[in-house]
Amino acid sequence: MEEQPQLRPTRSKLAYLPGAESLMRIDPWWGLVVLVVALTIILVTVSADPFRNILLFVSDGILVTVFITVTSFAVILIVGMIGGLGRLSRNWFIHGVATLYVEIVRGIPLLVQLLAWYFAFPAVIQGIGQWLNIPAMANYRSNAIFTAIVGLTVCYGAYMSEIYRAGIQSIPKGQMEAARSLGMTHLQSMRHVILPQAIRVILPPLGNEFIALLKDSCLVSVVAVADLTRRGREFMAVHFNPIEVWLMVALLYLVLTLFLSRGVAWIEKKTRFER
Amino acid sequence: MEPIIHIENVHKHFGIVHALRGVSLDVRKGEVVVIIGPSGSGKSTLLRCINRLEEYDAGRIVVDDIPLDNAQNINAVRQEIGIVFQAFNLFAHLTVMQNLTLAQHVVRKRSKDESQKIAVELLAKVGIPDKASAYPIQLSGGQQQRVAIARALAMNPKIMLFDEPTSALDPEMIKEVLDVMLALAKEGMTMVVVSHEMGFARAAANRMILMDEGQIIDEATPEKFFTSSHERTKQFLGKVLHMI
Repeated sequence: MEEQPQLRPTRSKLAYLPGAESLMRIDPWWGLVVLVVALTIILVTVSADPFRNILLFVSDGILVTVFITVTSFAVILIVGMIGGLGRLSRNWFIHGVATLYVEIVRGIPLLVQLLAWYFAFPAVIQGIGQWLNIPAMANYRSNAIFTAIVGLTVCYGAYMSEIYRAGIQSIPKGQMEAARSLGMTHLQSMRHVILPQAIRVILPPLGNEFIALLKDSCLVSVVAVADLTRRGREFMAVHFNPIEVWLMVALLYLVLTLFLSRGVAWIEKKTRFER
Repeated sequence: MEPIIHIENVHKHFGIVHALRGVSLDVRKGEVVVIIGPSGSGKSTLLRCINRLEEYDAGRIVVDDIPLDNAQNINAVRQEIGIVFQAFNLFAHLTVMQNLTLAQHVVRKRSKDESQKIAVELLAKVGIPDKASAYPIQLSGGQQQRVAIARALAMNPKIMLFDEPTSALDPEMIKEVLDVMLALAKEGMTMVVVSHEMGFARAAANRMILMDEGQIIDEATPEKFFTSSHERTKQFLGKVLHMI
């Protein structure tokens, strides 16, 4: 058959331009990051009042947001694993407790849960303290940041339990059978065979949860935690410039989540294995 | 001689399906037993009951003088029984070497050097000494199954169970797996094999068993079995041999 001159796709045409090929290889995501970071820097440098002032004012809030998110997530990873294993337990009591936890927590809005932890939980502790005459409990005061971490952990732990459960269930049954038939206990098989494979399966949804948690952490601003969102509100209350404040706060969240999502993609790539 | 596997009137139900209907079987040390039968006849279920991957509802199984009636000593029993599955079931996230050494570390408490030495020897024995650092997905089906056999052997089992070990393989890979099994049988390993590989049965089996509808229908040495006067055996062999 006679060879036809091939229509070259646009991509290879562009390749003739010097440097175009390497540009094409750059992930478009980086373009977005550069755009957002550049916009933030330009705003801060060109228009110091109010953008630089806003950034300086809310900077401690950024740290609080990051601290709460990272700390909660570390605990959520463990709570979720325990919850997920509990959901898969053949022991009816463990299974029941885990299922109850997941179903109840998933059905209540996070904001309501946070308000309950902050206002209702200390009142309950105080009430019990007065009733039993234990001064330490009667005078219990909630710590805002601690409450926020507990609230986020309990809520996201339930979602994470379901992710772990699905990840573990996605591993073929034969893997557990092979491990057990070599004489490993159920726990050893879970630890050495099932969980290492399940982790790789759940990494993408895990990363999504982390990013969602970072965004949802703004809800803790209603329970007296001085996070990024609350600091923004405080600045607005004094200077009353809503457009600039919320543009700046939104950009800062965007920078955080964009870098996080890239970090997640990087970890995914590193831990990918063929199966 | 005392049988190393003693199965006595075992029953097993899956819901309303009566999968095993009073199966009794003794396997002596060093014996190679090949079980054949149509699908759904309970042959795999019987095999899986021997290391309690399936629990049986009634009857008694004793392996190497240890009764399987309670789950307490099941890990001890499983250390003595290697099983090879139709679907290989190699640990997908581990290299061939790690597949062979994991249980040696965790269960047998062997040192890293010792377990690796054993793994290297076994990989040479099953004919793939150069694949130690490969992942299962990078191997052919026949190679994967030979790794699976080596993984089971690394625990020094007294008994090897084979659950349709060549059914998932391309025809040209079947031989390399059967050769390994044949060598194992010659060394005197006690083997219970569910397989329709009649060539292997003829060459290695001491006894052949036909199962149907959860029962042992016929049982004989290969010479007698292939000329059996039993109607069901003749009928089934006719189909299996025709298939080949």
